[in-house]
Amino acid sequence: MRQARTVISTYSADTFGVCSALYELGGMVVMHDASGCNSTYTTHDEPRWYNSDSLVFISGLTEMDAIMGNDDKLKDDVISAVEELKPKFVAIAGTPIPMMNGCDLEAVAMEIEAEAGLPCFGFQTNGMQSYLVGASEALCEFARRLTDKDAKKRQRAVNVLGATPLDFSINGSVESIKKLLKDSGWEIIGTWAMGSSLDDLARAGEAAVNLVISSVGLKTAIYLNQTFGTPYVVGTPNDKCFSEMVLRDLELAENDGKSRISFSNLEASAETRIYIVGEGVTSRSLAAAIGIKSGIVPKVVHTLEGLPELSGVLSKMDNQAMEEEEIQKAASDAQIVIADPLYRPILPGNCRFIALPHEAFSGRMFRKDIPDFTKIDVEKMLGQYEI
Amino acid sequence: MIKLAIYGKGGIGKSTTVSNLAAALAEKGLKVMQIGCDPKADSTGSLHHLDRVDTVLELVKERKNDFELEDMVHEGYKGVLCVEAGGPTPGMGCAGRGIIAALEKLAEKGAYEKYKPDVVFYDVLGDVVCGGFSMPMRGGYADKVFIITSGENMAIHAAANIAMAVENFKGRGYAQLGGIILNCRDVKNEAEKVEELAEDINSKIVGRLSRSETVQAAEDLNMTVLEAFPDSEMAGEYRLLATKIMAECGVEI
Repeated sequence: MRQARTVISTYSADTFGVCSALYELGGMVVMHDASGCNSTYTTHDEPRWYNSDSLVFISGLTEMDAIMGNDDKLKDDVISAVEELKPKFVAIAGTPIPMMNGCDLEAVAMEIEAEAGLPCFGFQTNGMQSYLVGASEALCEFARRLTDKDAKKRQRAVNVLGATPLDFSINGSVESIKKLLKDSGWEIIGTWAMGSSLDDLARAGEAAVNLVISSVGLKTAIYLNQTFGTPYVVGTPNDKCFSEMVLRDLELAENDGKSRISFSNLEASAETRIYIVGEGVTSRSLAAAIGIKSGIVPKVVHTLEGLPELSGVLSKMDNQAMEEEEIQKAASDAQIVIADPLYRPILPGNCRFIALPHEAFSGRMFRKDIPDFTKIDVEKMLGQYEI
Repeated sequence: MIKLAIYGKGGIGKSTTVSNLAAALAEKGLKVMQIGCDPKADSTGSLHHLDRVDTVLELVKERKNDFELEDMVHEGYKGVLCVEAGGPTPGMGCAGRGIIAALEKLAEKGAYEKYKPDVVFYDVLGDVVCGGFSMPMRGGYADKVFIITSGENMAIHAAANIAMAVENFKGRGYAQLGGIILNCRDVKNEAEKVEELAEDINSKIVGRLSRSETVQAAEDLNMTVLEAFPDSEMAGEYRLLATKIMAECGVEI
């Protein structure tokens, strides 16, 4: 059955991606949607919700407002909330209903910005795309609008791009990546967008190089490259062997100004029957680490939208498969699979399965088992499995 | 690239006028793209002469994203690039949302970058009845809106509504009102009524088209007047109108 998932879960949607990317930046995120309950956008996919405040609201779209195109109610409510809560910016994101009736949220945001006098962003999300689309667009829009275009580059300065709990949970992965960089003499300008302020992000142009740790950061990296000439390195630090490659590439990129994909020279062979199923950049990075240690690079099945920016990241032996049947087919000859536990039922029954939970796929279910990426030891991970 | 959206009451002659304008500009050596924004998909027939062409939405429905830009764009008279957005089955779905999806797909496939048209016409169905039908006047699409009307009361009423929509959107960075095209139906006091409309909406009549049997004769041949009767008075009127519209956009031809 095409375009149907009868067994496996679905990924967090583009709407969650916007909320997640902007959560810590001191703004107000308004989901233009029916109902007054915002747990759909926060608690289910947002592990920070219980421990840190963020202004995430639902507009409470009614049937008649949708039918009559009453955008003024949305504008008036947002402006009223801005006056009371004084956020640093406003982001309005769409959901299926405004998408269907053609609500132009970018234009509504323009009107609010003119009236309320603070940056206001409209995102044409629709709840039908994955978090990659929403989060990458949200971060890139911030880069376009709010970065200081006169920033001067600093040596050994780096931005970390693509950090959200949807890919890294809140188990210390992002902090560990930052520590790895600091211990190697890098000054971190901003982490997009966990643990950094809006002011930190505005200074993005000061970085000598950008590190892209998930697909979410690719679009922003390309924009910053085009705007500031900053080279970027794509790779998620994980096992020490691959982290060293990433650190080496950062140095090279700073010196020659050329962008690099740290795993590009480590490609799977056609005969390989080891698979990593999940998000492209983190999976390719893990495949590279396994390749360095074992000499066999696993194939990656990238299970999310093919962002145009990803085309240069996946290798020719990798697969993009979004639907249940496609994923099942892509890994049908698997001997070993590394994936979120919710993929287990659709994989070959006799394959050896290594669980790597992914917050954007299984939410809080296996959160305690999500590893700190920089502490991954691929030899331990593969354990008794001989490859 | 100049992008123009043409609105007006259903049946007022938008597609006929736009197709003749496109042909007139193409004759002058400009690369013109005409995008029909109507589920009936009948905007560009007199230019490409085919019984039917695949619409953007048909391609998306049947082939998801597995098709090329060339499948959507059909070359017609004098190289005019013809596109039909298409729409849902009559009585079902959402035509307005269809316009949005079709125009987004066209942009996503790089139509404007690849063909680099000098002029793009969005030939929009009837009135601005919902969010979808305002899509062609949104930021990034048309720069100017031209409204076609006759002196008939219903056509004037529709024109006033369209002008009101443009006015309502002025804070959104949408298209500006370029002017009114008077497509005469020879009703009593026609010119005066349309001039009064122009004054009411702070606009002006940029050109007039006579009621002429030549237009119907060309339509019977499934051609534009410019192709079927290039030396006719009516062809001259279309050429003059095309010149005036370009002048409103700051371009002399």
